[in-house]
Amino acid sequence: MLKIMIIEDDPAIREELALLLENEGYTPLVITKFTDVPSQAAQERPDLILLDIGLPGKDGFSLCAALRKAVPAPVIFVTSRDTGVDEVRALSLGGDDYIAKPYSVPVLLARIKAVLRRSFGKPELADALDAGELRLSLTKGSVSANEKTAELTRNELQILACLMTHAGQIVSRADLIDALWDNQIYIDDNTLSVNMTRLRAKLAEIGLPDAIKTRRGMGYQL
Amino acid sequence: MTLREFLSDRLGRIALQLIVIGLAVLFLLATGTQSGILVILLLVLLLVFVSVHVFEFFQQRTRLLELENILEGLDRKYLFMECVPPPKSLYERRLFDLTRRAGRAMTGAVSDAQATQREYREYVERWVHEIKAPITASRLICRDLDGETRRKLMAELVQIEAHVERALFYARAKNPEQDCLLRQVDLGRIAAQAIENHRSLLIQSGVRIETEGLDCTVYTDQKWAVFILGQLFQNAARYRGTKPVITLSAKPLGKQIQLAVQDNGIGIPAHELPRVFDRGFTGSNGRSRGGSTGMGLYLCKKLASFLDLGLYIASQEEKGTTVILTFPAKENLTKL
Repeated sequence: MLKIMIIEDDPAIREELALLLENEGYTPLVITKFTDVPSQAAQERPDLILLDIGLPGKDGFSLCAALRKAVPAPVIFVTSRDTGVDEVRALSLGGDDYIAKPYSVPVLLARIKAVLRRSFGKPELADALDAGELRLSLTKGSVSANEKTAELTRNELQILACLMTHAGQIVSRADLIDALWDNQIYIDDNTLSVNMTRLRAKLAEIGLPDAIKTRRGMGYQL
Repeated sequence: MTLREFLSDRLGRIALQLIVIGLAVLFLLATGTQSGILVILLLVLLLVFVSVHVFEFFQQRTRLLELENILEGLDRKYLFMECVPPPKSLYERRLFDLTRRAGRAMTGAVSDAQATQREYREYVERWVHEIKAPITASRLICRDLDGETRRKLMAELVQIEAHVERALFYARAKNPEQDCLLRQVDLGRIAAQAIENHRSLLIQSGVRIETEGLDCTVYTDQKWAVFILGQLFQNAARYRGTKPVITLSAKPLGKQIQLAVQDNGIGIPAHELPRVFDRGFTGSNGRSRGGSTGMGLYLCKKLASFLDLGLYIASQEEKGTTVILTFPAKENLTKL
C-alpha cells in the first residue's frame, strides 16, 4: 500500500483526510508535531506528501525544500492561500502539484493519483475493458461481443466504461452523470436517458439486448 | 491668468493712481508750473506706474505657471503645499502657512483612512483563508453522511464557498496588481476548471453544458477568468428555465478571442440590462428569487477591466442571456 504523509495543522482536516485516504486504500501517515518534520519523513519513507503552507513555526515553502533533501517523495501543496504568486512559488520550490482549499474530494483524489502515476510510472489505464462477453476497446471506441462489433460515440463509450468498471454493481444515474462530467462531457439527466437508449440499441445489435438492466429507483447494472 | 483678468483685478488700484496723478496735475497747474515740465512729469509718472504693473503681471504669471507645473507633476495632489517654495511677502506667507496647516491635517486624515482600509482588506483576506479550513473539513466530514443529507449540506457548502470567494475577489479587486498574473492559458482549461468548481451546483440544477472551439490560448489571469466564468455559471443556474443548457463557444476575432457564454434561462428585462453591472443591483429577477447579492456581475466587470477583458451582455426575456468575453491580443495588454 502506498504511504501518504499528511502535514496539516488543522486537526479536523487532518483526521478526516487520514480517514478518506485510508478508505481509498492508502496508508496515511499523520504528522502532529511540527518540529523536525524532515527527519520524521526520512524515518517513515512516504510515497507522497500532502503539505499545507500555513504551518506553525516554519512555513510550508521552507519545509518543502528540507523535505526534498530528506526524501524522494513527490510533494503536493494543499493550501488556502491561493494567490498566483503562491502557486508559482510552490511549484518553483519543487512542489509537484498545488491544490487550493477548499478542494472537492474527487479532485483531490484525482490529483493524488495523477502525481503518483507520474512519479512511479504506473501504466496508463488499460486499452480494453472486459465484462462477461463484452469487450470494450477504449482507443477504437468500439464494443464487441459474439464476434460482432458496434461503434460507440464518446458519450456512449464513457457510460459503458463506467458500467463495466463497476460490473455487477448498481450505478446510480447521479454517479453516471458524475463520471461523464469527470471526462468533460457535461450532460444532463435527459441526455443521459437518450444516450442510454442508443447504447442499449447498439448492444442489441451485437446480440446483447438486455446487457444493461434498469434497477428502478436505484440506477443501472451491467 | 490673462492680462484682462489681471487688470480687472487691479482696477481699484489703477483708478486710485490715476486720480492721484490727476490731483497732482491740477495742484501743479494751480501753483503755476510750466506746462512743458508738467507733460514730462506726467509721462515719467505714467511710465513708472505702467512698468510696475507690467512687471508684476509677468512675475505673477510665471509663479502661477510654476505652481501649476508642480501640481501637474505630483502623484498625490494633496501633498501640493509641502512641495511649494514659500512666498516672499508677509501676507502671502501667512496665507501659505494657514493653507499648509490645513493640508497637513488632511494628509494625516488621508493616511489614517488608508491605513484603516489596508488593515481591513488584509483582515478580509486572512479571514477568507482561515474560513477555508473549516469549509474543507466540513466537506470531508460530509462524505460520511448518507445520500440526501449529504447532498443538501454540500449544496449549502457550495453557497458558502461562493460567498466567500466573492468576498476574496472583492478585497483583491482593490489592488489587483498584487494578485494578477497575466500569461498564456488554455481557454479549455479555464472553462474546465470553472465547470469543475461549480459542478455540484450545475448537476443539481440539471444543466447541460455544450462547448465549442475552446481549444485555443488566451492571455489572461487564469484564476480571475475562472472566477468570472464561475459567476456567469452561478447566474445561469440560478435564473434557469426548463431544460437548462449553457453553451460555451469561442471564436477568434482578429487577434482577440471571443468567448460567448449563452444560456436559455429566464433572461433580463431590457430596461434593467444597462444596470446589471452596477454594484448591488439585483433587478426584478433577483428580488423575486431571493438570495441575489448584486455583487457577482459588478465584480466581473471590475476584474475584467484589469484584465483588459471585454464584457458585453445581451438578453431577451424568456429566451436567455448571452455574455460575450473578449480576451485581448497579447500586444494590446497595457496594464500590469
